[in-house]
Amino acid sequence: MQREDKQLELVLENFQSKLNEFKAQIYALIFKLEHERDNVNWTTVLDTFAVFSTQYTAIMKYLSYEKLPQLRNYSVLPLMLNPERDEDLARITENRVPALSHDIVPDFLRTKTEPEVEHKLMQVEHKAGGLQFETAQKQLAAFNKVVNHVLDLVSKAREEWEVETGARVGIGQTSSVADLHTLVSAVSMGKNLKPMVPQVSPGGMMVPPTGRPVTPSMGPNTPPMGMMPKPPPGMKTNVKAAGAPHPYR
Amino acid sequence: MGVTIIQQFPMKENRTGAQIIEFLTKRVNALGAKQCGTFLVDCETYASIPQLGVQRTLHVFHNSEQPASVFAILDNGTGKTVPVVADALFDLLLLKMSSVYTSKKSKVEIRGPRFELNDFVIKIGAININHNVKGIIVEAEYRPCVVFGLCWDMLREFLQGFLGSCVSNIPPHYFQNRMNDIFQPLDTIQQYLDHITIYRKATGILQPFNTTNT
Amino acid sequence: MEAVKEAPIPAMDSLTAAMKNNIVPNQEYLLQGSVLDSAVEVLLHRLRGLCDNVDSGPETFHDHEMCFSISNVYFSVHVLCPLHIIINIIFLLGSVTPQPLTLRVRRAIDYLDMPYQLRYIGQPELGDKSRPTILRNSIDVATTPTIVDFLTEMGFRMDFEYILRGYMFRKGRMKITVSKIFKMMVVGKPAPESVDPISQSYLVELSVLAPSNQDAIAEDMRVFAEQLKPLVHLEKVDYKRLTQPPM
Repeated sequence: MQREDKQLELVLENFQSKLNEFKAQIYALIFKLEHERDNVNWTTVLDTFAVFSTQYTAIMKYLSYEKLPQLRNYSVLPLMLNPERDEDLARITENRVPALSHDIVPDFLRTKTEPEVEHKLMQVEHKAGGLQFETAQKQLAAFNKVVNHVLDLVSKAREEWEVETGARVGIGQTSSVADLHTLVSAVSMGKNLKPMVPQVSPGGMMVPPTGRPVTPSMGPNTPPMGMMPKPPPGMKTNVKAAGAPHPYR
Repeated sequence: MGVTIIQQFPMKENRTGAQIIEFLTKRVNALGAKQCGTFLVDCETYASIPQLGVQRTLHVFHNSEQPASVFAILDNGTGKTVPVVADALFDLLLLKMSSVYTSKKSKVEIRGPRFELNDFVIKIGAININHNVKGIIVEAEYRPCVVFGLCWDMLREFLQGFLGSCVSNIPPHYFQNRMNDIFQPLDTIQQYLDHITIYRKATGILQPFNTTNT
Repeated sequence: MEAVKEAPIPAMDSLTAAMKNNIVPNQEYLLQGSVLDSAVEVLLHRLRGLCDNVDSGPETFHDHEMCFSISNVYFSVHVLCPLHIIINIIFLLGSVTPQPLTLRVRRAIDYLDMPYQLRYIGQPELGDKSRPTILRNSIDVATTPTIVDFLTEMGFRMDFEYILRGYMFRKGRMKITVSKIFKMMVVGKPAPESVDPISQSYLVELSVLAPSNQDAIAEDMRVFAEQLKPLVHLEKVDYKRLTQPPM
């Protein structure tokens, strides 16, 4: 008996320290939320909750450890209820429970769920138990059907998408390095763009500037090989003078 | 934007450019004109290097009335001129051409007060060639009209009103073929070029004349 | 027109100040690629999704570009004024080797009343691997249409010309053009019946025109180019290697 008592005390002590640790962490979070609300981001809060969750699981695991005395075998009995404020109790509970009154005892010392909840649970369990095997099978089949249908839809969409991207890759080449080089050297250095016949006349001047509608009369389909017939020297100035009636137009 | 004409005002003996400007300022003020800042027209002239053959001359203008533009007028040396109006960065491009077009180092600046009088803008400026005052230029703009031929008579009368008989009754040479064209900022610059050319040509002759008189 | 209250500053002075303060957009960050005619629709579709001008659709253009050059026979640096020295240091880095000065004139064929664009493009700098884009000097100037005649009379010679047709997209400060390059079969005639595409691909260019020292934008361009893969590979095209015959 003595040994068992000692063990129980040890377990409770351990349990309490674990709970206190947990409590401190919760406090830290609350403090943070109250004082640094603006700097808290959701990821850190989420991380903290993950820590809580593991803490809780660890505690539950500890309690269900086989070699520990089963705490549930011990009962707590309220010997006296008192509506007056109990300073000792308040101190122990950090002012959370000021008095052991009728009001709170049913909740604090409850070992079973509330009658109302219990009733509902019973109803559900009864319904599940009373279900015919065939009906259950039927419902199961229906549910499976729905799930499979959704799965089909998703995989079909995925397949289509993959085919599409596949097809795009399937075009294979969408660009050609050789073409790029042709284009860039044309635009930057005029490769393949320079007139076949050099049009330079002695003074470094060239025949009428391009892009202006003043070129000497030429059919729209003049063969490209002939290029521009070189106008006689006298004509050159005429063309130019006519080209600029008002130079600022 | 209206029609602008440019008029020389003769330099008088014993008077500096600043004094003449002050004298004319009094006259326009008497007409009721209000001064609205100052103006600046500048011109830099470049010449092509001999390797390019016939020497070409390039005049590059800025006008404070059109501060975002550069006006360039090329004289190809055989009687043809080609103007271009461009963005301000054109000046940077010109620097790229410094190996083929070199500055003639005769910077011209026309600076002075700018007045407004109802529909007219009047500018009175001293023309500086290489920082020497060479003469006085008066610019008058009539803003509601854009065709020279339609407002020349009025502009002439307006100018004669405060400049006196130095304003000719004959339209400036530049407009003789452009009486009915729409006026452009470039037309102002072309007139400045005409006047600058006259001053530059005259400089050689005027210089001794001025020194003997002062 | 608002009256100028303060004394006007000579244009050259304000230009020098602008240069010193690095507010003149004189650098072009550039990436180039190409896309086969068969895949251009897919590319345009993707660009429509990626770029800013979604509502209005892509802007089309139809331009005529002429490349002019002037040769100074011998090369010499004329020192004009202190400003010139500054600009020389900043700009003329590329022109230390004697080579003709090249200028480009571009005009819109579809909008005849648009200003012409005169453009100087410097030697492209590839830089090392850490630089995501080509960097080249660029001076862009809008001018009157007389510029063609002007350059010709100045002694410039037209080296070559071509037609560009394509689409323009914007994404922030980035400009993306997808253009088909046509050779002109008849000098000075950009009419559709006398032009011939020079390749079965469109030229794709991603560029930003910015003042000096704005290298951060190059990183944005790299990220954007990444999004167009594998459809188009926008890369730093090595111009020096292009001059050699293809292997």
